[in-house]
Amino acid sequence: MPEVISVTELNTRVRDLFARTSSLNDVWVSGEISNLKKYPSGYYFTLKDQNSEIHSVMFRSAVSRIDFEPTENMKVRAFGSIGMYVPRGTYQFIVEVMDRSGVGDRYLAFEALKKKLGEEGLFDESHKRPLPRYPNTIGVVTSQTGAVIHDIITTSATRYPANILLAPAMVQGDGAAETIVAGIELLNRQGVDVIIVGRGGGSIEDLWPFNEEIVARAIYNSQAPVVSAVGHETDFTIADFVADVRAPTPTGAAAIILRDRNEILSEIRSLSIRAENAVSSKMLDDRRAFQSMDSRLGPKRAEDMLKMMSLRLDGLSKDMDSSLSGKIEQMRSRFDLLDSKLRPSRALDSIGAFSTRIEMNLDKMRASTISKMESSRMSIDAKSKHLEGLNPRNVLTRGYTMITSRQGRILTSAKDIEVGESISVDLKDGRVTADVTKKEMRQ
Amino acid sequence: MTYEEEVQKMSFEDSMNALEALVKELEAGGIDLDRSIEIYERAVILRNHCREILDDSERRIQKIMETANGVKKEDFEVD
Repeated sequence: MPEVISVTELNTRVRDLFARTSSLNDVWVSGEISNLKKYPSGYYFTLKDQNSEIHSVMFRSAVSRIDFEPTENMKVRAFGSIGMYVPRGTYQFIVEVMDRSGVGDRYLAFEALKKKLGEEGLFDESHKRPLPRYPNTIGVVTSQTGAVIHDIITTSATRYPANILLAPAMVQGDGAAETIVAGIELLNRQGVDVIIVGRGGGSIEDLWPFNEEIVARAIYNSQAPVVSAVGHETDFTIADFVADVRAPTPTGAAAIILRDRNEILSEIRSLSIRAENAVSSKMLDDRRAFQSMDSRLGPKRAEDMLKMMSLRLDGLSKDMDSSLSGKIEQMRSRFDLLDSKLRPSRALDSIGAFSTRIEMNLDKMRASTISKMESSRMSIDAKSKHLEGLNPRNVLTRGYTMITSRQGRILTSAKDIEVGESISVDLKDGRVTADVTKKEMRQ
Repeated sequence: MTYEEEVQKMSFEDSMNALEALVKELEAGGIDLDRSIEIYERAVILRNHCREILDDSERRIQKIMETANGVKKEDFEVD
């Protein structure tokens, strides 16, 4: 039994045969266009000569590459390959590029250069440099009369205020590539932060300088990062592949490089608000801490402390006055320290925005502090006078004496004294030592 | 050199970074009020410096050419 295959299999084999046959791939064919139909997906037509014809298709991507509109009966040279459409068993010529005057040669040159530079690593992602966030000066290599520089200047007006340094260049025609290279090199010597290389839309011929090797290498060797903005968004040049960033248009290039001014301002505003909130909440915390401290230092607290001190005073005959005033001084300086730390004027000087509100609160707080301190001080003064009255030395001036044992203990009861014992008697201006000769207990 | 003078010499990017760092320090807390206010004052100086740069209408648009007598720059006006 011979091998039986399906129709699909047969057509698939034909397709594979076409694909393997180099004489049917990447060939230039000359002929005339007829039955031209234009669809969004591409152009469909017949390419024919006097003796033969072939179905041809030019897909959208290829259409965008040519700089003329094909018309019925137009004589062209088409570059492409034979392809098989398996479902219908038909083959067709798939056109990559077409010209009337040797544009196809340019396409080949473009592809060859792209391959060569790609292999050399000129398009490598690893070589792409980041753009400066806030460039001081932007260099622009373009025509000084075109829309490009106009668009860049107009767009940059509402953005981060960078200086613009234009290196005028020819952007089409013979010698254009050389002027573009010179511009890139000149701007690098000037130390610009970033360079835009661009021109407006045009035919593939017009854009050609940006497909030249010297331009590609100048972009690659530039110290400053390069943004390309060549032609329309659909045009790709070698310069676009080498550039660190490709912008769709000159306006786009300026927008990519420079942040919007309002956007930056609102970022600054938001940082300011965050700083204000942080300080404001810190002040609030401190105020609470102060209030708690303040209440602990109120008159009641001072009174308690004085009570404690007066108890201790009973056991002491010396240094009492200085000790007490020392305590008072300490308390005062604690007040002063807290008061100065929270003095509103210091904080208010620096905080404009929310000063009014805080000021009112701080004023209230200060008034309350002062009044509390005043009443504290008055209370302390009163207690101090009272304690002054308790000073035993004052008592001595009124004719009383203070008797101490030899061990220095103050004696208040006859029980504590034995006959024959030596005692010290303190008078207002001196001390005498006496021996006890007699003791009588009072009932 | 006062902090103002220091800031005057700072680039916009450095100022923005410094401002952001100060705000983060303030927000992190753990510092006393005196220090907070000191940081806040610095933040205000940085903010003002950034605004000054943004408001600077002195940006220059020039064209540069290589001539027989060397590099020449002149103001460039859009038509």
